[in-house]
Amino acid sequence: MKISFRFVFVILCCVFVNYDVAKVEAQYLHPKVVEKKVTIRSAVILPAKVEIVKESAKGQEMMVAESADISSSVMEAVGESLQKKKITVAPNPFEASAMDESRKYTLADIQTRYDGLLPKMLKKSDDVKKARFTLGDEVMLLNVHKDADVLVFIRGQGRMFTKGKTAFSLVNILSFDFPFAQITVGIVDAQSGEVLAFTKPMSASKVLKDKKALSKMIEKSLKKVPAAAQ
Amino acid sequence: MSLKRLLQISLLVVSLFLSSLPMSARVISVPRQPPPRTFDQPSDEKFVFGKVDQDLLSEIKLLDERFEKEGAVYHEPGLDAYLKRVGTLVVADQKLENVEWKFRALRDPVPNAFAMPNGSIFINTGLLALLEDENQLAAVLAHEVTHVSHRHTYLQNRSLRKKVLTVNILNTIANWNPIAGGAGLAISLIANVSPLLLALSMLGYSRDQEKEADLEGLKAATAAGFAPEGMPNSFKAMQRDIEGEQLNTFYSDHPKLQDRINYTGSSIAAGAKKLSEDEAKTAKTDYLALMEMVDRHDVDLAINEARFRSAVFASQKLVDLHPDSSENVFYLAESYRTLGPRNAVLTDRQLTSGAKKSAAKTRSKRTLEEQDAELLATPAGQEAWKANSAKSESLFIRALELDRFNARAHRGLGMLYEKLNRKEDAASEYAKYLELAPGAIDNERIRRRISVLRESNK
Repeated sequence: MKISFRFVFVILCCVFVNYDVAKVEAQYLHPKVVEKKVTIRSAVILPAKVEIVKESAKGQEMMVAESADISSSVMEAVGESLQKKKITVAPNPFEASAMDESRKYTLADIQTRYDGLLPKMLKKSDDVKKARFTLGDEVMLLNVHKDADVLVFIRGQGRMFTKGKTAFSLVNILSFDFPFAQITVGIVDAQSGEVLAFTKPMSASKVLKDKKALSKMIEKSLKKVPAAAQ
Repeated sequence: MSLKRLLQISLLVVSLFLSSLPMSARVISVPRQPPPRTFDQPSDEKFVFGKVDQDLLSEIKLLDERFEKEGAVYHEPGLDAYLKRVGTLVVADQKLENVEWKFRALRDPVPNAFAMPNGSIFINTGLLALLEDENQLAAVLAHEVTHVSHRHTYLQNRSLRKKVLTVNILNTIANWNPIAGGAGLAISLIANVSPLLLALSMLGYSRDQEKEADLEGLKAATAAGFAPEGMPNSFKAMQRDIEGEQLNTFYSDHPKLQDRINYTGSSIAAGAKKLSEDEAKTAKTDYLALMEMVDRHDVDLAINEARFRSAVFASQKLVDLHPDSSENVFYLAESYRTLGPRNAVLTDRQLTSGAKKSAAKTRSKRTLEEQDAELLATPAGQEAWKANSAKSESLFIRALELDRFNARAHRGLGMLYEKLNRKEDAASEYAKYLELAPGAIDNERIRRRISVLRESNK
């Protein structure tokens, strides 16, 4: 009886993971956006930082090249989602090969500022609605397109399981150890540095390798961001 | 449960533990007490690269490239050449498979250094600013070189993989444990504590490697002609807890700094080269002069990452070195301005373990603006802000006396006056800044500030 219950539970969990029921899309908007005091018409997407690791029964391994590829895919997906909202996405002004050292440093410093704020935003995401988070007007040092309303920061992490690890996680289903991917998108006022919108969609990590599913997830996560034409 | 069943389970658990021990002839464990040897002997003569090591190496190479691409590495021709010179002396003529020695500074104000197994040694600008002379720098680089030459990263990776597998198997047994009673409980207990045992064993392993790197690094730096006291002195420099972040944790991956000072100090041979007072003074001045540009860069980084006390420390060193440099005085003024309602040096009370933990908690919960507001609500915070703003103002004025074309001093004054609600003064200083530096990177930012100030004054 005990074993059969476990068997049913394992099957249910497999179904749960496969159908991406665990997908969570949380979105938080700054009051200025909700009250339409700010309209987002154009955006500049900063280089995304999505880190994925390969997890086997023997532990984690880095996936540096794959992380870079997935970062580009996520950037693309965010860009497409914004464009669907009639928000103009400026061409990437941060191509590594086109930047001199000092521009690289400025970008790195602004990214560091955002990374410093991110844990607080993840912990108390609801406080975006209270206008609690800002990067300060230092964001203007990036000197992005003059008509850009917002800067978009993308971060993410994911775990890819090997077959061995998948077997272990299924056998130990009660440990709730699943391959997941979490992306965070922060939309920041390009002048004041205020965090205008923040979303943190979460899904099974296979979404990272499926461009269509990834676009769908990002699109859903940015659903509340008002379209420029409104 | 029968005795036979109990015996079978016990055998299974024991065999799993044994499976975590090195089996392959290729695996070399780091001896707890390394046998004495001279550093110029090839330290990895028995090391054979396996697939796991090759995989790790290729990932590390990509990571190394990414550091460059993302602007994490600080490049300044003088510094690059200097690090290369000291690093090459320490490495001597070691040629290792899959190692290309590179010595670079990482744009990070946290005092730290690390080595990648491909031979890339990084020293943070925060540590460069904390060290006092070339002997200390050589000691730090020698420590990191030892990690590479003794293949510590590969060995740790191999060890971790075996241990994680054991923990996973133990967990599986515990989850499906069909045995009731004492034996079942024992199995569950072992499985439950196994992740903790894994963590402790890895930390212990890491500490052994750190100690080995300290002692072998000391030999290497000495053999390269640097004063051996550089090693214990570098730890003494790192002992300065400027930001109050050195917490006494139960277990750490590095030995305690005081222990490192003691064992490296006692390892220095009685007749070893010792710097005279004059030599030490010259070594210090020479190093500081070489680090002037790096220190300035580090002050900017420290301010960006809210390490204001570190910024004051580094910029004070700059002013002590060249008191008549308008740039250096500007950096000190900027550090005091951003220090806001904090005291420049932590008090003994703020350095207690409880106070440091509480401060760390506050930092993790509150934004910078909230921290400032909380401090300003206290008499001590108000007093500190009053003192820091006065000091900052006088330093900005001094910087302008030394060089009236120092545009950034005007910008700093503008920001200070804006915070002090002296709107007209602030706008006027900003205007002077724009006049002196029309092509500045933050031109738009300052223009916007002026327009906001003028709007609010209407």
